[in-house]
Amino acid sequence: MDVKKLGASLHQYERRVLPELAHALSVKELVAKTGLKEVEVVRALQWLENKKAIVVSTKPQEWVFLEKNGEEYAENGLPERRFLTVLQEKPLPVGKLAEKTGLNREEVNICLGLLRQRGFILLLKEKELSAKITDSGRKSLQGPFSEELLLQKKFPVELAGLSAAERKVVDELRKRKSMVRVDTQVIKRAELTEVGKKLLEAGVRDDNIIDALTPQILVSGQWKNKSFRRFDVTSPVPNVSFGKKQPYRAFLDQVRQKFVALGFQEMDGPVVETEFWNMDALFMPQFHSARDIHDAYYIKEPKAGKLDESIIKRVKSAHETGGDTGSTGWQYVFDVERAKKHVLRSQDTAISPRTLASKDLKIPGKYFQMVRCFRHDVIDATHLPDFNQVGGFVIEEQMTFRHLTGLLKMFAQEFAQTKEIKLVPGYFPFTEPSVELYAKHPQLGWIELGGAGMFRPELVKPLVGRHVQVCAWGLGVDRLGMFNLGLKDIRSLFSSDIDFLRKSRVM
Amino acid sequence: MPSITFSFDDLCLLVGKRLSEAELTHLLDYAKAELDSKFGSEITVKYNDTNQPYLWCVEGLARLLKGVLGRQKGLAKITLKKSAAKIIVDKRVRKLRPYIAGFIAKGVKLDDYLLKQLVQMQEKLSSNFGRKRAKISIGTYPLNALEFPVHYKLADPLEKFIPLSFHHSVSLREVLDKHEKGKEFGHLLKAESGYPVLVDAKKDILSLIPIINSEQSGRLVVGDDSFFFEVTGTDERAVNLVANSAAFACFERGFELHSLVVEYPERKIVTPTLTTTRMKFKEVEVEKLLGIKLKAGQLKSLLEGLRYGYANGTAVIPSYRHDVMHAVDIVEDAAIMYGYGNFEAAPLTSFTVGNIKPMQRMIDTFRELWVGAGYQEVLSPVLINKELLYGKMHVPDKGTVELENFVSMTYSCVRSWVLPILLEILSKNKHVEYPQKIFEQGVVTLRAPDLHDEEHIAGVSAHSLATFTEGKQVVQSILQSVGALVEFEEFELGCFIPGRAANVLVNGTHIGFLGEIHPQVLDEFGLSTPVVATELNLSKLHEIIKK
Repeated sequence: MDVKKLGASLHQYERRVLPELAHALSVKELVAKTGLKEVEVVRALQWLENKKAIVVSTKPQEWVFLEKNGEEYAENGLPERRFLTVLQEKPLPVGKLAEKTGLNREEVNICLGLLRQRGFILLLKEKELSAKITDSGRKSLQGPFSEELLLQKKFPVELAGLSAAERKVVDELRKRKSMVRVDTQVIKRAELTEVGKKLLEAGVRDDNIIDALTPQILVSGQWKNKSFRRFDVTSPVPNVSFGKKQPYRAFLDQVRQKFVALGFQEMDGPVVETEFWNMDALFMPQFHSARDIHDAYYIKEPKAGKLDESIIKRVKSAHETGGDTGSTGWQYVFDVERAKKHVLRSQDTAISPRTLASKDLKIPGKYFQMVRCFRHDVIDATHLPDFNQVGGFVIEEQMTFRHLTGLLKMFAQEFAQTKEIKLVPGYFPFTEPSVELYAKHPQLGWIELGGAGMFRPELVKPLVGRHVQVCAWGLGVDRLGMFNLGLKDIRSLFSSDIDFLRKSRVM
Repeated sequence: MPSITFSFDDLCLLVGKRLSEAELTHLLDYAKAELDSKFGSEITVKYNDTNQPYLWCVEGLARLLKGVLGRQKGLAKITLKKSAAKIIVDKRVRKLRPYIAGFIAKGVKLDDYLLKQLVQMQEKLSSNFGRKRAKISIGTYPLNALEFPVHYKLADPLEKFIPLSFHHSVSLREVLDKHEKGKEFGHLLKAESGYPVLVDAKKDILSLIPIINSEQSGRLVVGDDSFFFEVTGTDERAVNLVANSAAFACFERGFELHSLVVEYPERKIVTPTLTTTRMKFKEVEVEKLLGIKLKAGQLKSLLEGLRYGYANGTAVIPSYRHDVMHAVDIVEDAAIMYGYGNFEAAPLTSFTVGNIKPMQRMIDTFRELWVGAGYQEVLSPVLINKELLYGKMHVPDKGTVELENFVSMTYSCVRSWVLPILLEILSKNKHVEYPQKIFEQGVVTLRAPDLHDEEHIAGVSAHSLATFTEGKQVVQSILQSVGALVEFEEFELGCFIPGRAANVLVNGTHIGFLGEIHPQVLDEFGLSTPVVATELNLSKLHEIIKK
């Protein structure tokens, strides 16, 4: 990289650390030299390393560390030197040593033991026990102690770098209280690379570089004579958590938009439906297996709802005898009370008959609904307590099955990005003909997209008042959502994992 | 969805053609069925149409496929020998289970496979089409064990017989308590005055209808070659349909069929009825619904392929089909035979204006505002439980829609508000980085004052510095963004810290609330982070803004 550009991209921490690295240094040394905090030095080293200006070695090594007393003695001298110096004038009674030397009792005891062992003092038993300096003691005061030499080193000191004699001294010092300690530590040491050396040669300017642009700099106009530190725009940064739409909900938004764009009007209906709108109005006979207690959810209160008697009458007659629809009907006795019973909406198609029976129905018209439905099922990877369905109908005079085919082709193209579809005979109590729609997904192969058909005359005539052709269809939007979002478990559509949601894609 | 299992070789034999698996898969489309599984020669087929019970035996399926393949088209043939054997129906069965039909089948030795097929057909018809025997049920009896006439009547509950798989006789009432089938289907017999039974000329009880046959005269075994088939039920059409379907299946299996006279108190009929129905049906019906013009003779050929009869504008519907209620049903069959894949798609040509539902724009606006405020959207099931909605929240229930037949207690009611669900989500995410701000928009349902849905939006902010003020800022800013005149007033609710909760009013109307969640509620959810929470009723706001 261009050394000049690199130099201009140095952060102020880096600019302060780099010049100190003419020789390899540890973090601690750098902290001392630069006056930066340790965390700042560490970051500077990290950045410089990213720029390949330094190498940081992090070998675990045995290091000698100064402890509390060691630090004090390194600064103020060893107690044994003071002890000997005081004894140089005259022997002193042991009882008075603390007072005369200014050392504490503990230090005095250490000095007595240590200096006797080395033959630097003698203990005389006269009137009272006294300490007297020996000749070798006097001589030793003329030069530095081996301990003193060691304490003058820059700590921490790498144990491996010491001579055998020095190591012996370390061992001695370790026996004394709070002098030194030896630890295996990962010590970071930074050393310049060739790039680093070039950077340093080129000079690391400090004064004329702006790190953070502040209002103060702008107001004062200081920036005019300065340059801006270049940023490494490729260096990684952590994510921020901001507000996002839920991925599946965002997908449903797109589906809604698509239907509107295709000219469909959205319908809505209640979560708690009467059996009438949920099933009867769809010409599902009251003995139909999908109406078992095991397939729909019934509610405790209120058990039944109110219905428009005239519509009920027409639907009842279509069920029983076909009424005026040209049908034989299902040929059973239709129970009006049963029709009033409340269920949780078990299929999105429940909404269509409300629209067909409404005075606002437009012919020609295209309608869709996108709602939560509920089916009595065990909850597992493929079943949720509630699920979403998208469906609707197109009502138009002179419409035929061929138009339904065209509609389904369009859906396959819009929602599964494919022109290849397969229509298979299907069965729904409310449509004839009925089809199941499969689409060849570019990645997943043949997938079942949904079902469709032409609403039966027995359904349409009692609600609309006359027969008009109606193409009805429903799409398994939960499954489409899973394909779209790349999910395997349908429960992920309703995931409550915030981390998953934060990381999820919304397109 | 009914499914049947049979031998693939057997099907091929009945169809008269060796089929490949791929061919079979394709042919099953014509029966609205799919291949469920295949183990060696044994295959299982699942039917999506529950109204064509004649297909729930391999013989019925083969009959249809022969037509589709063109090997045998038009109405299926059947020969029925008249017999004088009678079933005499007592008027006292009228209230409980008034109808019966049957026939005698002779001359084919039942091997293990055939017996299994017969039992399977019986099972599928009576459990699925027969609504677990409530609507119809079936019995078969070795012919040599009984004597006609057979009486269909009520018997005293204390009368005794040996039910299948028992070694000693028990009273009819005891069957209901002691026999496995009695326990399963006993609820169908409410009348204490007497239970429906079939009794033969020797006065042997053949069967307790619709529970269990007699061990002595109601057990078909391998090696039997003749049997009496009967079907009883509450719906005469269904009873006859089942008898007709079974008669066709047995005939195609090679049995010689003999009719039975059913003598009701006021009339006599011969069963199986084998009554076909006629429906006027012209090409124009096809053109109107399907949008295709058929050539002369083409309609006839299509319908005969699916085993209808057709001549001179009249379709003849086989006696084993009652699912043809309207001309559109025949049109569909014509379309199936024509091949759905052969229809040329036509585009819709009418112009219509698309639009979202009335509240959707407001819903989306609020969701966007909440996202803009830094909240992550979540989506939850609306089925939930009262313990979460009220117990953990320390809030009273003011009218919840509860499920009568819930599967699990966890999902036993419809949510009446959203906030508790958001706290539940927070409680599952304690390991995730804070601050956590989430919101959900969705429907809630209440049954007071009357049953209705409301669109709500609720949000929670959880972090070490979350306060009432932060929540209020968000609510105030969002509501002002939609031009609402928002005010706050003091409010107390069990889930909030007293003195740190407020009602939210727009134009003087209460549309929601917010507050700092009370530590005892945070405890309930195992949360150790302050949470400020709000919930607004968008439906209410929509009404106010419309005004």
